[in-house]
Amino acid sequence: MSPLSRRQLLARAVALGSGATLAELLGPARFLSAASAAPAAGSTPSAFIPGNPLSVMPDRGWEQVYRDQFSDDSTFVFTCAPNDTHNCLLRAHVKNGVVVRISPTYGYGKATDLYGNQASHRWDPRICQKGLILSRRFYGDRRVKAPMIRSGFKKWVEDGFQRNEDGSPKSDLSLRGTDDWIKLTWDDATAIAAKTLENVARTYNGPEGADKLLAQGYDPSMVEAMHGAGVQAIKMRGGMPLLGVGRIFGFYRFANMLALLDAKVRPDAAPEEILGSRAFDNYAWHTDLPPGHPMVTGSQTVDFDLFAAEHTDLLVIIGMNWICTKMPDAHWIGDARLKGTRVVVISADYMPTANKADEVIILRAGTDTALLLGVARELMAKNLYDKKAVAERTDLPLLVRLDTGERLSARDVFPNYEQAALENYVVLKPADEIKTAPPPPPFTVGKQIVSNELREAWGDYVYWDRDTDELKAVSRDEVGGKFPGEPRLVGEREVTLQDGTKVTVRPAFDLLKEYLDESFDLATTAEVCRIPPAAIQSLARQLAENKGKSLLAAGMGPNHYFNNDLFGRVHFLVAALTDNIGHIGGNVGSYAGNYRGSLFQAMPQWILENPFDIEPDLTKPARVKKYYKAESAHYWNYGERPLRAVKTGDDVHKGESITGKSHMPTPTKVIWFGNSNSLLGNAKWSFDVVKNTLPRQDAIFCNEWHWTSSCEYADMVFPADSWAEFKLADMTASCTNPFLLAFPTTPLERIHDSRSDYEILALTAAELGKLVDEPRMAEYWKGVLDGDPSPYLQRILGGSNATRGVKFEDLHASSKEGTPLLMNPRTYPRAAGWEQRQEDKPWYTPTGRLEFYRPEREFQEAGESLPVWREPVDATFYDPNSILSNKKHPSIKPRGPEAYGVPIEQRDAETRQYRNVVHTWAELRETQHPLHELDPAYRFIFQTPKYRWGAHSTAVDADWIAMLFGPFGDPYRRDPRMPWTGEAYFEIHPKDASELGLSDGDYAWIDADPADRPYRDWKDDEPYYDVARAMMRARVYSGMTRGLIRTWFNMYAATPGTVAAQAQAEGNPAQNQVTRYVALFRHGSHQSGTRAWLRPTQMTETLTRKNYFGQVIDVGFEADVHSVSGAPKEAFIKIERAEDGGTGAQKLWRPVTLGLRPEAASPALLAYLAGDYVTRKKVS
Amino acid sequence: MPKVSNWQLGREMEYPYEGSRPERQFCMIMDTNKCIACQSCTIACKSTWTWGKGQEYMLWNNIETKPFGFYPTGWDVNVLDKLTEQSWNGDVYEGKTLYEAAPEGERVLGWTPDEEDWNHPNLGEDEPTGDADTVPYMADKPHSMMWMYYLQRICNHCTYPACVAACPREAIYKRPEDGIVLVDQERCRGYQECLTACPYKKTMFNLETRVSEKCIGCYPKVEQGLQTQCTTACIGRLRLTNFLSKPDAVDPRKPADYLVHVKKLALPLYPQLGLEPNVYYVPPVHVPVDYLTQMFGPGVEQAIETYNSAKEDPELLGLLMLFGSTERIIDTFDVKDGVARGYDGEGKEIVAVPLREPTFVRPLEFVSELKGEQVTGYRHNT
Repeated sequence: MSPLSRRQLLARAVALGSGATLAELLGPARFLSAASAAPAAGSTPSAFIPGNPLSVMPDRGWEQVYRDQFSDDSTFVFTCAPNDTHNCLLRAHVKNGVVVRISPTYGYGKATDLYGNQASHRWDPRICQKGLILSRRFYGDRRVKAPMIRSGFKKWVEDGFQRNEDGSPKSDLSLRGTDDWIKLTWDDATAIAAKTLENVARTYNGPEGADKLLAQGYDPSMVEAMHGAGVQAIKMRGGMPLLGVGRIFGFYRFANMLALLDAKVRPDAAPEEILGSRAFDNYAWHTDLPPGHPMVTGSQTVDFDLFAAEHTDLLVIIGMNWICTKMPDAHWIGDARLKGTRVVVISADYMPTANKADEVIILRAGTDTALLLGVARELMAKNLYDKKAVAERTDLPLLVRLDTGERLSARDVFPNYEQAALENYVVLKPADEIKTAPPPPPFTVGKQIVSNELREAWGDYVYWDRDTDELKAVSRDEVGGKFPGEPRLVGEREVTLQDGTKVTVRPAFDLLKEYLDESFDLATTAEVCRIPPAAIQSLARQLAENKGKSLLAAGMGPNHYFNNDLFGRVHFLVAALTDNIGHIGGNVGSYAGNYRGSLFQAMPQWILENPFDIEPDLTKPARVKKYYKAESAHYWNYGERPLRAVKTGDDVHKGESITGKSHMPTPTKVIWFGNSNSLLGNAKWSFDVVKNTLPRQDAIFCNEWHWTSSCEYADMVFPADSWAEFKLADMTASCTNPFLLAFPTTPLERIHDSRSDYEILALTAAELGKLVDEPRMAEYWKGVLDGDPSPYLQRILGGSNATRGVKFEDLHASSKEGTPLLMNPRTYPRAAGWEQRQEDKPWYTPTGRLEFYRPEREFQEAGESLPVWREPVDATFYDPNSILSNKKHPSIKPRGPEAYGVPIEQRDAETRQYRNVVHTWAELRETQHPLHELDPAYRFIFQTPKYRWGAHSTAVDADWIAMLFGPFGDPYRRDPRMPWTGEAYFEIHPKDASELGLSDGDYAWIDADPADRPYRDWKDDEPYYDVARAMMRARVYSGMTRGLIRTWFNMYAATPGTVAAQAQAEGNPAQNQVTRYVALFRHGSHQSGTRAWLRPTQMTETLTRKNYFGQVIDVGFEADVHSVSGAPKEAFIKIERAEDGGTGAQKLWRPVTLGLRPEAASPALLAYLAGDYVTRKKVS
Repeated sequence: MPKVSNWQLGREMEYPYEGSRPERQFCMIMDTNKCIACQSCTIACKSTWTWGKGQEYMLWNNIETKPFGFYPTGWDVNVLDKLTEQSWNGDVYEGKTLYEAAPEGERVLGWTPDEEDWNHPNLGEDEPTGDADTVPYMADKPHSMMWMYYLQRICNHCTYPACVAACPREAIYKRPEDGIVLVDQERCRGYQECLTACPYKKTMFNLETRVSEKCIGCYPKVEQGLQTQCTTACIGRLRLTNFLSKPDAVDPRKPADYLVHVKKLALPLYPQLGLEPNVYYVPPVHVPVDYLTQMFGPGVEQAIETYNSAKEDPELLGLLMLFGSTERIIDTFDVKDGVARGYDGEGKEIVAVPLREPTFVRPLEFVSELKGEQVTGYRHNT
């Protein structure tokens, strides 16, 4: 073997250009002088022998070189907060004015709350590789260095926004992604943004605007939803706004402020008709929300601070790669295990967290719900469930009418029934008052708020008394210890109503039990999930043995499937049957994203200040009035369409709308977003968005500090400050840990011509104000424009339940030292449901109980009044989205496709969403995915989960991170095809690989449903298809089951610029030569296989749920609470081998030729795996 | 050749130099059960020490997934295969060490990695052995049919380093005050004999300076009483930078002595190679014992048993909770009343942590006096 060749490696290092930037910035490499003074290798060494090197070395002066290298001139603390829920205060070390490295602050163990409670140093250190790499990103070549504008867009603006008759721009919008970029001054950039907003608002205003939109082909319901206001075509989105309470939530403040623009462009509109813009949602868009949670509890998400693992005996982790996605809180698992906690990991593969488990269940992808239904059946059939918890805390004892499918109402049964005056943790108010009066400051609210009308609609409920056999009324107040009844859970009886009608009723428990007994016996469940029955029995037994002491944590795994709400409902069911909800060490939790903006209940103080009535004294509370409307970005992602049932070939606008009115989107003409690559460049179905939806948008604005794939397709990119350069403070908190922390201001000078996200919004507001002669627009951002937004943050702190009493200046000072504060909710660790379980308070549901039966029309139509099991909508080998029921069931009578006017054989992806078809397992297991019927090469489920190397896509393109990303990393890119120092790959079972002729390291094409992916109406000869079709390396990997393919979510997608760069010359990285953007794919991305999905039960007008902020309970759409949530794990693909894994004369990738890969293991590797090199005689 | 005493082998062995143990030996303890393979350690190390030109590929610290992860490719398979059969009789090693098995004219049985062996530093990441398709359920530990785990690797700062033995310039030495092994950057001429000799492949060639370099045990930090960069950036809290006493002067109050010599929980990596390495591993409790014995020697079963029953041993549990809790090097520790404490060399408390993080309940309705102001309101969890 040859020694390392300096010449070859250096040549590659220079070609790559990575690493050199920072090194050059810092001066010459440490030993350059020493090396040049050294004689060439091969010359005679000095004969000097210093002695025994184990004990003596005479001249150690050289050691100073490393001490010098370690020393710094100064340090400062900043906050790192990508969307990973952790939010770490980090210490930057500065040398010669440059941040040279990052370290943890070790200050978390000093964090205290307002009561003097203190965290321990077991919280330290909080940092990870994504934070440690930041010094290379702050100075990296992908920084957005100045305001940038796409030349075609600039020309369109300068030409005065020329439009066609239907209002569409006279400008080639398909140039996005290939056009030139021009640097702007801040004045010009903000003026252009202001002019564009104003022009769009006027263009699409009133009846003329509506006509234009209809002429452009928009759905009439969407046009109607604008209510004549052009500003409603503007979509603002602060990406993951909890990660910047001031600057990122500021996008929503801007949305509210645009009511001032509406008043200008619609001077005749009445004050109550004035609207702000639309605002895109966040956590539901990111598929982070567990939409089943509000269906059971009425609240957004039930969760617990992850360190509650310290207090549990059984930790059941389902589809949650805790050690990769919750890094700073991973040690709590290991710590808990040392103290005796048993850990069960359930996943579709032997995932990283499995190596921390005592017990591992590897099931068929997407069948988590089926497994838990089998567990629930085992608990119920074997009488292992907690009868008291079920009777007192769930709706399962409440009687259900078989004629209407609704709950039996007390007033229909008992003569002259008077409804209970609700007083358990609730206040009733007239609906008008709730809707129109300014909401009370959250900190003053101690109870749920319900309108009289809603309470009236709920009524009271009826159960079947066990001892007397009589029917008894039960009110919403009577939960937990406040419920004295002992209900019968099983049986059927006839009831004569007050109007004389005779109806058959059964407890919901009985209906559920019938379904489970018939359809989820051990044998069926085991077959559906492809696991042994023992796994189901074991889980049921352990949960029953650990009542109140089991934590059931779910992650994105089950959440990223279309039928994710059914999973959530069943997750709760299993927990409710074993009294594992609302205890510190016994609870349900769902973890994906940092969704809990409501940690700051008084956020409306900031985002909803009334722009017509601005409080000039920033030390006083603001007056709140909501003008903007939220909508789910999923509709935009869906091609700007609601869901309509339509027979193929019929007029799509004429189909029955399944999207509820309160969910209805408006047409999108301007999108302005920040702090997020997930909206566009890393969106599900992103290539379809770019090809088919973006050309309908007049303008795309994006705030970023690192040039992402979203920036690639934008019209203007505003350079935001990196976290190390904050001149305006901000703050954040987390759904998974108890800390409250500031983004401190820092002494580091801005590296480029950037501004805070706050300032970008504020400067544009001021420009817009000048343009339309509305000084209140600038006044609305006074604190920001004056350089100190902290009074706004103080308004939020002072009004929020968990932070009232905290002074921002104290928070800032402490954070600057590297120590956060503790939030002040009821408990440490914060445990949702604790108040309900420990203090007998009602949930945010009509019954006040955990609700497992959903009587609403939409649920009945879907066949989902009971939490049933449906196959995934695309990621299945069988008939997609089928409901499994082994026997006809009185509660499972869905509205089938024919009822929508759609033939049963119509099984395309869009139809499947509302295609309610019931199969027995015996039928279902004989069915096939329609694509497989079309072409048997389609036979793989395609998963795109998140990974350790990026928080979303943050940090994965840093050279050292990419080098460590999976098995193919190489800092020198010796294989000239590599897009970067690491690259995208997919994992495939060895037998599947062998059948496809794939070896480790080979390149392959991945194709999902050709009807719509990678984008609708693709043609294989157009250039964008070459950008959009996914190519990745194969990794043969026995941790996958057969038929399952996995790649990772976090990687940056190919764009026209990256594909062009690689086509230009062999050896080029996939780096856009103009923007410096880097892709980790040669072609396409993991999103080439995904698409948008709209799920009917997530678009209802009837579901009862708490509002996002505050304690008001209402029904229908609520952004990031009850709305569509997407399904990035839904794809069914074929794989086509493309290229050999080796380069040059080598057909195979080198580790394969060395015999060090399992598919071609050398005898040495086999001996090594078995431990055969060592023998040991035991001595007794 | 001189005979030296190697306690890890339970016998004496040959080494080119007379044995000379430092007063206290820099060492690191790694609890493999808590590693999450985030490589925060790797990036902390790289951003501190190996960010320069010529060091692009260089990871003084790396994490590799066993069994298919290697940096450089195949390093331990190769060395085990070259050494052929290695036998233990109880706790005494009866096979040959790399020094004893050295070919005629060489000091160490070694092999030289090819330049491409450094290509893929995270080869094998997360990759298990076994077959998920045929083993869908593992009811308990060990995960005998399917497993993987993460191995944390820095220079072992061996008591009998192969790099020292092999260097023709005698440019590599062991610091008498802490046992840290260093390549003298002025004396080294880049012959790379150390790369061939070190079985752990933890000396590396700098392409720019044309000399070899390696993990320096973060001596600029250790000299200040601080733990290494890879330790203080470890969010898995699985590392402890510490000092090991001489084998005849074990002090159970000292963390490393307690874990290595008293509890025998932390074991050396490939002790049979004969280098007396000073990074000690708590073995993974879910991995089959045969593989682990090959890797960590004969103490594996007992160590796993000790780890699995740590809940009944507050002293051990407490010490494990101190991992990661402080940046400073702990000299001694104790555990009393559910609190573990670490002390410096003068007996002053550095840090105290509870064995279990406490819980607090705050009032629903509150009236508080905060900085002279009366603050009222309601607290909620939802």
